[in-house]
Amino acid sequence: MAEVILKNIKKVYPNSEPKEKKGLFGKKKTEEEKPHRTHHLQITDEGVVAVQEFSLDIKDKEFIVLVGPSGCGKSTTLRMVAGLEEISGGELYIDGNLVNSVEPKDRDIAMVFQSYALYPHMTVYDNMAYSLKIKNVPKDQIDKKVREAAEILDISQYLNRKPKALSGGQRQRVAIGRAIVRDPKVLLMDEPLSNLDAKLRNQMRAEIIKLRNRINTTFIYVTHDQTEAMTLGDRIVVMKDGFIQQIGTPQEVFDHPSNLFVAGFIGTPQMNFFDARLALKNGEYYVEIDDISVKLSEEKQKRLREKGVKEQEVTLGVRPEHMNISDKGIEGRIDVTELMGSSCHLHMTIKDKDAIVIVPREGNIENHMGQKIHLDFSGNVAHIFSKEDNHNLEY
Amino acid sequence: MKSNANKTAEIKLLISRIVVYAILIFLSFLCLFFFYLMLINSTRSNAQLQSGFTLIPQNNLFKNLYNAWHDGDINIPVGMKNSFIVAMCSALLTTYFSAMTAYGTYVYNFKGKRFVHLFILAIMMIPSQVSAVGFIQLAFKYNLTNKLWLLIIPSIAAPATYFYMRQYLQATLPIDMVEAARIDGSSEFKIFNQIVLPIMKPAIAVQMIFSFVASWNNYFMPALLLNKPDKKTVPIMIATLRSADYSKFDMGKVYMLMVMAILPVMIIYIILSKSIIKGVTSGSVKG
Repeated sequence: MAEVILKNIKKVYPNSEPKEKKGLFGKKKTEEEKPHRTHHLQITDEGVVAVQEFSLDIKDKEFIVLVGPSGCGKSTTLRMVAGLEEISGGELYIDGNLVNSVEPKDRDIAMVFQSYALYPHMTVYDNMAYSLKIKNVPKDQIDKKVREAAEILDISQYLNRKPKALSGGQRQRVAIGRAIVRDPKVLLMDEPLSNLDAKLRNQMRAEIIKLRNRINTTFIYVTHDQTEAMTLGDRIVVMKDGFIQQIGTPQEVFDHPSNLFVAGFIGTPQMNFFDARLALKNGEYYVEIDDISVKLSEEKQKRLREKGVKEQEVTLGVRPEHMNISDKGIEGRIDVTELMGSSCHLHMTIKDKDAIVIVPREGNIENHMGQKIHLDFSGNVAHIFSKEDNHNLEY
Repeated sequence: MKSNANKTAEIKLLISRIVVYAILIFLSFLCLFFFYLMLINSTRSNAQLQSGFTLIPQNNLFKNLYNAWHDGDINIPVGMKNSFIVAMCSALLTTYFSAMTAYGTYVYNFKGKRFVHLFILAIMMIPSQVSAVGFIQLAFKYNLTNKLWLLIIPSIAAPATYFYMRQYLQATLPIDMVEAARIDGSSEFKIFNQIVLPIMKPAIAVQMIFSFVASWNNYFMPALLLNKPDKKTVPIMIATLRSADYSKFDMGKVYMLMVMAILPVMIIYIILSKSIIKGVTSGSVKG
């Protein structure tokens, strides 16, 4: 029940061992072990910059999802909001108060961890009641709150069990229960479903949506799974290498990705990318690839015109579901066909690159592996990215 | 063909089991035989003991007990009490503070953390006899001899116990749990006492047994620091009986006292072994 404002937040992990001291008592780090070798994080004299220029206004009761590949800084950002990581720069406000140096326990937040982090020696009831007991809440109130939360999460029958006697899904419910009994201002979730199997994950995702409708609080949710991000978030923050790539509603991010990374990261199967040319004929924009020239939609024309985009070589992005089999167009070879039930995924090689095309099952393409087909697409689904900086030329 | 292969496999399994059991029986025999011999010897008189060894119990048990209990040079209840105070306090304090130190170097990030860890481990390499010289000089200089706490306090610094605790924490304590407790509003001391210590129960039990036994059996330091009869510990009393002059010398009494000395250790072991077996942490995190 609170606004969260992040202003130009920055996190730098200092180089723990200066070069000349390295190896005095410990082993020398190999190239592979250095954090900056595994990700493209910026390195300065201060250290490795894990998050920078992170600015975001989270409204009261909003559900924000931070999404990105591992090492992009999403968990670090969440941990800074929680108070578990020091903030190297910038300002963090919760409910109007600057909380940069406030202890986690005084921020009135709750957090659900990927590993559940339940206390193994306590029963489910005690796990959920622990934070209230510390606050010296009267016993009858603790009991009421714990039973209410257990009711919401459907774990009332397990209150006397220890965590080890519960399944993964039940443990995660307890972890969520432990967080919601406190009526926190902000509920933080760090990849809470990553340890569950696929079926349970889908089920719990629905549970979280229901939970969100039942409790009035601000959610910040971290995940690397774009499906979770799309289904749960009011707004999604896509991150990469410590920078925000795009902030928007799931629909905005899906329909109007701001750059090549977001386009590739959001949506399954991934968007297909081709080398193409953006042509300007009689004041109208066309995208040319192979022997086809597709006129872009009016909406796109307008945006490109406003930005004064010139003719140039571009990266064309088209989602698999937006490509159609036709008589002429981009030529490609079918490598593998996957029947998915209502549709069929064609794994193809187009211009020496892998691509996926989703066609309706009636498309009659079974047993056509190795066959060459032509594909086209319409002008309203083409995403045009600059070759220079990978940005969407429309924005 | 198939049944032949199966038979061969069965025979192989049988042979390997026989070998394994034979080795285990031999090792158990090595461990238990001398223990048994001590029990038997405590039932024999000094004269019987001089005449060679036997595996059959004799009838001098109560006589030996009476003699040992009423020996003028030693006071068994006082010795037991002294030993128990020293061993129990050492065991409790050693495990608690070692666990706390291990938790400190495992969970907190501070400058020189690695150095502190390695420094503590380096102390393990110094034999206790070496550091004892200076310690004993200090004790004599400031008239601190014949004080039981002088045996307890130094034992708190136990690098080996610290190392064991740290390894145990590394294997069982996810940092997430500490952070969850912090967010729940727990203070750092409460986290350690209410969350971490219960998780470390098995490790604490193991180390308590080790520290208790080591302290209970310790002869070296008490022999140098304790000389008043009312401060003596059990190992010193056993040594007193052994070094008695010819007229008083009775090996039956010595064996009797030895049997009495191992009883508390066995009781402690039986009490604590239950918590070792219990896998407390299973189920706390995914795994």
